[in-house]
Amino acid sequence: MSPFASRGDDSTEPVPTVDGVAIPEVADRARMRRERHARLQAQLAAHGLDAVLLSGTANVAYAVGADAPASDPARSMLARQVALVVRGESAPYLRTPYPEGAPAALDPDRVAPAAYPDLDDGAAELVAWVAERVPAGARVGIDEVTHPLRRAFATTAITLESTSRVMSTARVTKTADELACIRAAEALTEAAMVDAHAALRPGVRQSDLTAIFLKRVFELGVENVGVDPIWQPIPTHKADGPRTVHGDLGFPSASTQATLAGGDVVWNDTGLHVGGYASDFGRTWIVSDDPRPTGEQIAQYVTWRTIVAECKTLAAPGVDTLQLCRLATKLNGGTKPWLAHFYLAHGIGTSSAEMPLVGTDLGEAFDERQVLGPGMVLVFEPVVWTEGVGGYRAEEIVAVTDDGTVSLSGDFPWAPFPEEGP
Amino acid sequence: MNPSLTVAPGGTVPLVDGPDLAGLRARCRQRVFDAMAAHRVDVLVMGRPTEVTYATGTRQLWLAGSRPFGPSAIAVAATGRIHLLGTSDDGVPDEVDFGDLFAMSWNPARVRAAVAALPGIAEARRVATTSGTVGFEAFVHSVAPEAEIVDGAALLDTVRRVKDADEVACVAAATALAADALGAVAAQVAPGVTERELLAGYLGRLGELGVPTPPTEGIVCAWSSGESSVLRRVATDRRLGVGDRVVLDVAANLAAYEGGIGTTVVVGSDGIDLPDEPPPAARCAAEVFDASAAACRPGTTGAEVRHAVTSAGGAMPPDGVLFGVGLGVEPPVVAPGIGDDAVLEAGMVVAVCAWVADVDDGGWYEKRLLHVGAGEDGSAAIVGPVAPPPDRRPWQETAR
Repeated sequence: MSPFASRGDDSTEPVPTVDGVAIPEVADRARMRRERHARLQAQLAAHGLDAVLLSGTANVAYAVGADAPASDPARSMLARQVALVVRGESAPYLRTPYPEGAPAALDPDRVAPAAYPDLDDGAAELVAWVAERVPAGARVGIDEVTHPLRRAFATTAITLESTSRVMSTARVTKTADELACIRAAEALTEAAMVDAHAALRPGVRQSDLTAIFLKRVFELGVENVGVDPIWQPIPTHKADGPRTVHGDLGFPSASTQATLAGGDVVWNDTGLHVGGYASDFGRTWIVSDDPRPTGEQIAQYVTWRTIVAECKTLAAPGVDTLQLCRLATKLNGGTKPWLAHFYLAHGIGTSSAEMPLVGTDLGEAFDERQVLGPGMVLVFEPVVWTEGVGGYRAEEIVAVTDDGTVSLSGDFPWAPFPEEGP
Repeated sequence: MNPSLTVAPGGTVPLVDGPDLAGLRARCRQRVFDAMAAHRVDVLVMGRPTEVTYATGTRQLWLAGSRPFGPSAIAVAATGRIHLLGTSDDGVPDEVDFGDLFAMSWNPARVRAAVAALPGIAEARRVATTSGTVGFEAFVHSVAPEAEIVDGAALLDTVRRVKDADEVACVAAATALAADALGAVAAQVAPGVTERELLAGYLGRLGELGVPTPPTEGIVCAWSSGESSVLRRVATDRRLGVGDRVVLDVAANLAAYEGGIGTTVVVGSDGIDLPDEPPPAARCAAEVFDASAAACRPGTTGAEVRHAVTSAGGAMPPDGVLFGVGLGVEPPVVAPGIGDDAVLEAGMVVAVCAWVADVDDGGWYEKRLLHVGAGEDGSAAIVGPVAPPPDRRPWQETAR
């Protein structure tokens, strides 16, 4: 586990709770699955659906919680894991190419081989399988409708509906066990990042850092890679980076074998999964044998730390996210401290970026309506930028508790910036 | 035989010396427009990463898993332009004009407005989409009110399934990288090592070779003699013991093309045990592979491949005995209950996974990629290294 103490586990502090349940050191995955199933059942009832048929990886991970190797989209979408949750039943059904990953408590009768909704015979088979498990004329929520599935469902009396409300409502607030999984994923990410950070020297290739990092994460016990790690050199002027449609900084850029040079300022961003739940780690580093940030760089870092610290203090149940945007902007001297195509903060769960999204182009009215509640997660990733100097970016994961917030990030060093911060 | 890896000018796509990637991109783009013309499609809406790669050659950030469908690239027949969802030109080839990028947005109304404004959309009469959601037909009709919606995945499949020489060269180079990683993992095999440590070595080696996160975490599964052999792809903390059999099935990407190779090793007292004679299960797996490969001729159906496998004593792996390989895995697929009517064509590249269970108190697995119709008299040719590392025994070289 992490060599760094988790924040919030000081025995003199009150234990953070979500809906009265303390966030455990280790998630009770059986309890987590039961509670998620209960939430989905409540959403099925609320929306008048008889079932949901899910093939998106994050949705299946939520509905079933099965283990599977991380695969690229091509593999994940051809031989699919699929979850079917039927209203009134005590457990989900799972289609999977990896039956060994099915939860031990799931009746083997509910586990069947992979589904192939991209293929005509696969879609026909999947629809027949669904039709045997839902009432005739059922209303079934579905998250992707391939052309073969559309044709196969057209031969039945089943009506297809969107799942987006059902899934986003169930997923947006986490249980204490879900938060424990996110914290565990982040702790392992930070522990593995120690070796990669130590290797950040002039002449190292981006792919070398990836090699060191990925080898270490699997040794430490991470279950899946979520994103190819990013180690992007950041220019001092936005125009010196990738050309963008909006004129703001181009980030993130996929890693290559490009060599990092002395003096490069590098933004790191990466995510891994434990128990299906994603981590999200980011830092700003300087490539050097003896990195020494300038006064201007330190000032940006201090502003970043201040924004996150004050947003954490403000965030609590009942607070709308427009208040967070306004506070962060004020602390950044009146300029929005985030990239035009992203956000001040995003949620995280079985997907690496999910609701709540804070500060997007959905607009201020959207943020004003978006009110925090216990169990919501905010990954703060402000960017403090000065044209000609460059910028500071890092990430911190914060969970909203019954009476405030708790950080799910560990105490990974801020080096080469001053540890004490503001 | 590691390919010579270099970084393209501008630090974008990793290149090998062999394939002409710029020419390949141009041909793929043209094939997309040709297929649209042949099917009288005015607009093709693509959503999946491999579709974007095929049509435009854009290098994308590797993200695990399936994701919600939405418009990522839109080809318009009337203008010959492919509009790409993206914020920056990073990884975007020169032939995609900067003005053909349309900004990503979290706001559905903005996405709709951006798509509606693309030249040639509003008057489209026939729009192909590669997949969809419950609301996506309404989205299409909101930007192209007169359009009939047709199956764009089937359209793309017709151009993607047959590979040209440069595509096969990419798959071969990726397979060579995978074979190198397999060799590194095999060198780690020893009593006391865990499956997860082998997986760590695999991912670490690919990073050292300079290629990104692989298509999938390889099978690294082990079983002891006397245990029933089950092909698992979720690695565990199980420690290897002397006499265990370990399946190693690895893959790698190069220029977004997938290569792969798989084999089985036996744990010795100090590394891999390399007996002079193959275990009966290895001999049986080689027979299954040879029979499957012999069946892989143009015109062969999935049912005939399945029959060849079972006649030779093979079992069906949980995720299939045959699948297409190109920009990741793709049709055709012959898997449990699937693919009897699939038909192999000359020029396809397919993975053949020979698996025998519980032969001589253990199973055995071998995987190679085949280029259908590229061998003598219409037979299939192995793509990439014939023998997996460690290739120190002649019996490990499968006959074909």
